[in-house]
Amino acid sequence: MNVETFRYDNRIVRAFAIATVVWGLVGFSAGLLIACQLFWPSNYDSILAFAQNFHLGWLVERLGPSLNLNLSYTTFGRLRPLHTNAVIFAFVGNGMFTGIYYSLQRLCKARMFSDFLSWANFWGWQAIIVSAAITLPLGLTTSKEYAELEWPIDIAITVVWVIFCVNLFGTIIKRREKHIYVAIWFYIATAITVALLHIVNSLEIPAGPFKSYSIYAGVQDALVQWWYGHNAVAFFLTTPYLGMMYYYLPKAADRPVFSYRLSIIHFWGLIFIYIWAGPHHLLYTALPDWAQSLGMVFSVMLVAPSWGGMLNGLLTLRGAWDKVRTEPMLKFMIVAVTAYGMATLEGPTLAIKSVNSLSHYTDWTIAHVHTGALGWNGFLTFSVLYWLFPRLYNTKLWSPKLANWHFWIALLGMMFYVVPMYASGITQGLMWKQFTKEGFLQYPNFLETVLQIVPMYRLRALGGSLYIIGAWLMAFNLWRTARNGQFVPEVEVQAAPLARHEAAHGEEAHPYNHRWLEAKPILLTVLAFVAVLIGGLVEIVPLFLIKQNVPTITSVKPYTPLEVLGRDIYIREGCVGCHSQMIRPFRSETERYGEYSKAGEFVYDHPFLWGSKRTGPDLHRIGGKYPDAWHYNHLDDPRSTSPGSIMPRFPWLLTQTLDTNALAPRLAALRKVGVPYPPGYENGPAQKDLETQAAKIVADLKVGSVTTEPDREIIAVIAYLQRLGTDIKAQPKTAAPAAK
Amino acid sequence: MHMIKDQVSGISGVELYGIISICLFVAVFTGALVWALRLKKPFLNSMSTLPLSDEETATAKKGISHEE
Repeated sequence: MNVETFRYDNRIVRAFAIATVVWGLVGFSAGLLIACQLFWPSNYDSILAFAQNFHLGWLVERLGPSLNLNLSYTTFGRLRPLHTNAVIFAFVGNGMFTGIYYSLQRLCKARMFSDFLSWANFWGWQAIIVSAAITLPLGLTTSKEYAELEWPIDIAITVVWVIFCVNLFGTIIKRREKHIYVAIWFYIATAITVALLHIVNSLEIPAGPFKSYSIYAGVQDALVQWWYGHNAVAFFLTTPYLGMMYYYLPKAADRPVFSYRLSIIHFWGLIFIYIWAGPHHLLYTALPDWAQSLGMVFSVMLVAPSWGGMLNGLLTLRGAWDKVRTEPMLKFMIVAVTAYGMATLEGPTLAIKSVNSLSHYTDWTIAHVHTGALGWNGFLTFSVLYWLFPRLYNTKLWSPKLANWHFWIALLGMMFYVVPMYASGITQGLMWKQFTKEGFLQYPNFLETVLQIVPMYRLRALGGSLYIIGAWLMAFNLWRTARNGQFVPEVEVQAAPLARHEAAHGEEAHPYNHRWLEAKPILLTVLAFVAVLIGGLVEIVPLFLIKQNVPTITSVKPYTPLEVLGRDIYIREGCVGCHSQMIRPFRSETERYGEYSKAGEFVYDHPFLWGSKRTGPDLHRIGGKYPDAWHYNHLDDPRSTSPGSIMPRFPWLLTQTLDTNALAPRLAALRKVGVPYPPGYENGPAQKDLETQAAKIVADLKVGSVTTEPDREIIAVIAYLQRLGTDIKAQPKTAAPAAK
Repeated sequence: MHMIKDQVSGISGVELYGIISICLFVAVFTGALVWALRLKKPFLNSMSTLPLSDEETATAKKGISHEE
């Protein structure tokens, strides 16, 4: 009997596990900071006065009226993507690698394919996270949600992901276990789909070392982005974690998964349906109706495989529920799977058009994603970490009691987070739509609907704080566990190689048989790839047909040079995080904002800036609504024009000089993606046009008693804001919509 | 909205995409269902115990569980 001796690599698992804990704490804390920024400024003066009573005024002044330490780098718009990226790619990303690198070796009865690739994966991924943590506060962003990182980092992500894929498939090919357990299927689907999504959505033309423009514009960009965004949730936050559920839950419960049959249907159902559901992020927008309906139908169908998976997880505990009392790890796992069930019932509900008309742009979405992030991803990660550390260190968990404390505090924290966000989302959604008996908007001032929900923001921050306290308890517990035990860097095991193994079972070790076996994971990969590709193609092919058919509104013209630079500043400051530019065709919206948005208005928008959340009002028709001086004062201090506003101050826009050197490469890049600037325009004429427009705005500001230089960034931002949504107003009268 | 709808429905056979997608889904789902139902009990049992058997081999360095 020929057996091979080999070693499982625990070092790489430990490295990813530690990174998971560290980045988790960073990501949660960034979230808490921006959560506090949303209620801090509205009563800054009273807080300052209160603090001064205790000689602590200096501290409050240092924190600043926007709780951003008076720095541009720590302002809400720049930190929000940092929070989402840290939680998704740093915390869950490292958690996924931890779970995969441990379970894959054991399920394949093989060490990872290459130690070098394992460590290249680890250090490459950490380097990407660090570069994100540097570039996002600097305002270097593409503005596309969960794909904010600029093109050099996009390339690095591609390289590191390919390294991970080679390591994953290499390990599967050299495995000593004939069959591929369902967890590995989920890992394979993750690997190939994330690669596809990332590459297609990140296609962009560089306009400098850290600046690029999406090759898609407007409607196309929106559809590609949410095809990506939705499936990033599916294939980054869900499938790898489902794989982990199928491995770690049976291990902790010490019994096989409830139904292996169900897990097969779960897998194919899930990956095939998920890929179609992206357009539910764009309901009632300028996206074609058929694509919206397709997204809605498939989203509703998603309940079936999702709940199949959830029930499969919960029923695995049949006859072992008593263990939930004693094993903190199982407590976390059960809540994680339950949260998965809740989030996957809620998601399809939100994808129903009539529900979405209320929920979209509100905090309801925030509640929904945090049920998934805090409950499903967070609790499952904690569960796996509590299970892994004692095994990596060959000891017992230092304090199961402290882990129980963590469990209850985190659960309470989650409730305090999610419930206020539901209340806030539904309240604000209803207020936006409320009409008086006379047919006027009941709350015409957007700010009124914001002030109503500020108390909910305070409660949410309390929930987040509790969750973070729990995470610190875990970090301490795991650290003590590590100190108590002795790290086991490698586990020596023996297993028969695949062909021999076959022979031992009495099957014919025919070369054809062996080849067929090796081809099986590849066949599986190809099938999974085809499944996700079909969904993508059927959505995207008509998209390019639309490209030739989007009605060109003749009055819609490319942005002027000054507006281009202003738009880039709008992107840099992350304005899109709080302000949408997409007015839906509801009377409540056209009354409040003006004419609803048309697809033809966005043909020069690289990238699209429709947004997904209205912490502030929609800005698509802001152009011409207020005088230039209003914008100047509002950006300097929003409270000066809108008392009680929770928007941060942007005083640096008033002092920083506009970088006009960037103009030529940017206009050239925009021309490359299809904006029809005349050849040579960027060399000379553009600069002249920019100066003329800037001088006009300076003169206009003077009328509003504001004196400033024409080379300030604020001038470009005002130019862009005043342009927004005005092009269709220049249409001939006959084309104008019927009177409201 | 209507303007876009009119334009898009002008693309020949755009409504076909919705029908194609549903047909594909039904085909794939039926395929997976038939496949899963045709699997034999011993195979399913051996598959579902896979994660549980690795610890055994990891600790029992001498005894090789495959041999039986």
